[in-house]
Amino acid sequence: MNATPGSPMGMSGEVLPDVATKSPLRGAIERKQWTADSGQAWVVVMLLVIFAAYTGYRSQDFWTLRNWQVLVQPLAEAGLVTIGMMVVIASGGIDLSVGSTIGLASVTAALVARHGHGTVATDFAALLTGTAAGSFNGLLIGCLELPPVLVTLANMVLFSGIAVTLTAGNSITGLPNGVLWLGDATLFGVPAAFILFTVVVAITSLLVNKGLWGRYVLAIGCNPVAARFSAMPVAATRWSIYTLQGALCGLTAVVMMARLASARADMGQALMLISIAAVVLGGTPITGGSVSVLGTVAGVCTFYVVQNGLTLLGVSPFLQTALVSALLLVAATIGAMLRHKRPEG
Amino acid sequence: MSPLWRRYEARLLLAIVFLLLLLAVTTPRFFAPTNLALLARSMGVLAILTLGMLCVLITGGIDVSVGSMLAVTSVVLARLGNHGISEPWTLIAVLLLGTGLGAFNGVLVALLRVPPIVATLGTLGLYRGLLLEWTQGEWESTVPGWLNELGRPRALRLDASVWTAALLALIAAAFLNRTQTGRNIFKYGSSNLAATRTGVSRTAVLFTVFAAMGFLTAVASIFYSAQLGSVQGNAAVGYELVVIAAVVLGGTDILGGRGSVFGTLLGVFLVSAIQTSLVLLHVPTYTQGIATGLILLGSVLLRRLPNGRSARVLTATVKPLGHGQVS
Repeated sequence: MNATPGSPMGMSGEVLPDVATKSPLRGAIERKQWTADSGQAWVVVMLLVIFAAYTGYRSQDFWTLRNWQVLVQPLAEAGLVTIGMMVVIASGGIDLSVGSTIGLASVTAALVARHGHGTVATDFAALLTGTAAGSFNGLLIGCLELPPVLVTLANMVLFSGIAVTLTAGNSITGLPNGVLWLGDATLFGVPAAFILFTVVVAITSLLVNKGLWGRYVLAIGCNPVAARFSAMPVAATRWSIYTLQGALCGLTAVVMMARLASARADMGQALMLISIAAVVLGGTPITGGSVSVLGTVAGVCTFYVVQNGLTLLGVSPFLQTALVSALLLVAATIGAMLRHKRPEG
Repeated sequence: MSPLWRRYEARLLLAIVFLLLLLAVTTPRFFAPTNLALLARSMGVLAILTLGMLCVLITGGIDVSVGSMLAVTSVVLARLGNHGISEPWTLIAVLLLGTGLGAFNGVLVALLRVPPIVATLGTLGLYRGLLLEWTQGEWESTVPGWLNELGRPRALRLDASVWTAALLALIAAAFLNRTQTGRNIFKYGSSNLAATRTGVSRTAVLFTVFAAMGFLTAVASIFYSAQLGSVQGNAAVGYELVVIAAVVLGGTDILGGRGSVFGTLLGVFLVSAIQTSLVLLHVPTYTQGIATGLILLGSVLLRRLPNGRSARVLTATVKPLGHGQVS
């Protein structure tokens, strides 16, 4: 797809003629878009390997099992949201409400737990709340065709307002032990949360790359008008995309509650920017229409490995924010150059 | 240009009149001169920022680094002033710095072709991180005397920020509607392709709006720190969302090509009036978030009413050239 700078929602006036007649994915491959996009992903992977090698050389603590166990826990949380965000962005949308959805889901679950319900009910409440919140986004975006930025901006404020009102701004502790299990459990030394993340990545990868649903998502991201004229279920697909994102936010809330042993309304706030940045870092264009699962995973890993490495190297947290942001800018610039060099059409 | 009663601004005016009537019944204190002066005071900084954001949004772009830029310019302003640098030099330095920060965004978007949301997301973290590294979390707990003087009420009990905002709004309206560059901003936002094919310079349009955003942020930071009397590195986190919400509430199309200064000012008024009245109505702080969210959602739904240009996929995607509304 032709990069359309200046229109972040991918609503350019261009009509790509081949979308109606063949799959957007095949079209993308034939236009060599695939190579360019995973090109950026490989740049990120290479930078990551170089960084990891350098950090390992400078700090003995970097390549230890304990460090990686601590590192992958928050990585898995951010990863779950990022995978959902990748699908949302691939469809030409954006979700600013993820942080608030995570907060709302965790707070609801904690309140369920406080009323004496067990582990299953608590975790189920988080998943259900997340799914319901995402489904509400999806209804407004899919059925009423409102712009995703506006809907999710309003719902970001709304959801966090509800979550803060429910808790009066406090954090809730005293969750059942079963909920906390996910925070400690390991399989052959690999934390359970990370295994969960891997499974979600594998399923999403299949959904996006192999199934009909993935084709719909990418076609809508390429050109929603062409998708509708090709008799694709645009509204239903959009609704399902945001519902999936909501469900993944609920899952993130489950994992976060397990690690932090508490629930707060503002628990997921930082993840909104991280998830968008990680998707972009991985080479999925913000305008939608193509997707790189490998790149997205590399993008989110980069954020956490670099932050962990910089901490071990003794860089102050403030400077870490600046450096990670600079990394995003460099990767996005390289990506924009790769995409711009590609011939139009 | 469509007749006034069919425009979005008319609906917004109706909503405002309705809100004012409601307030007249429930909390007559809202109309006390002191409260109105405070309300106007709280609108000044927001109004200045929304004028810049309006231009950015009309091009179809977005700038989420506004909160970070506001914090950087405010802290630099207070630090320079507290180190005894004279008033004019401090102001010049801050305005240059703000324009520079905005211009950096402009270079990323216009020259390097990074999508606006990605570029400003990056500079949001970059500016904030560098600022916090520089201040190490320390507060500038005082501002120089001349800056305090700026925050003092003036004519009609309004302070300088309101008068500056009014002046800048007039300039912005004239710029957007009467100058070639201003019309080009609308053209580019309506259709990137059609505009560039008919000779509109993409680079010039995008660089101008992002640099202007930076300049206006610097102007706003002068009044921001004057009103607060102290600044810190974590100031204005998330403020960009308030700015974007106000502009969008004012009828600007987030997909570009449409928006007006008049509507934006109405949006600013609505956001500030709602916040003030929620306080006067003794709505608990925690519940104010729900109210704000519902109002935002309502304003988004307001466009789906019949007879308005709705945000349907078809109309949003295939837009005719240059139908930007004139304020």
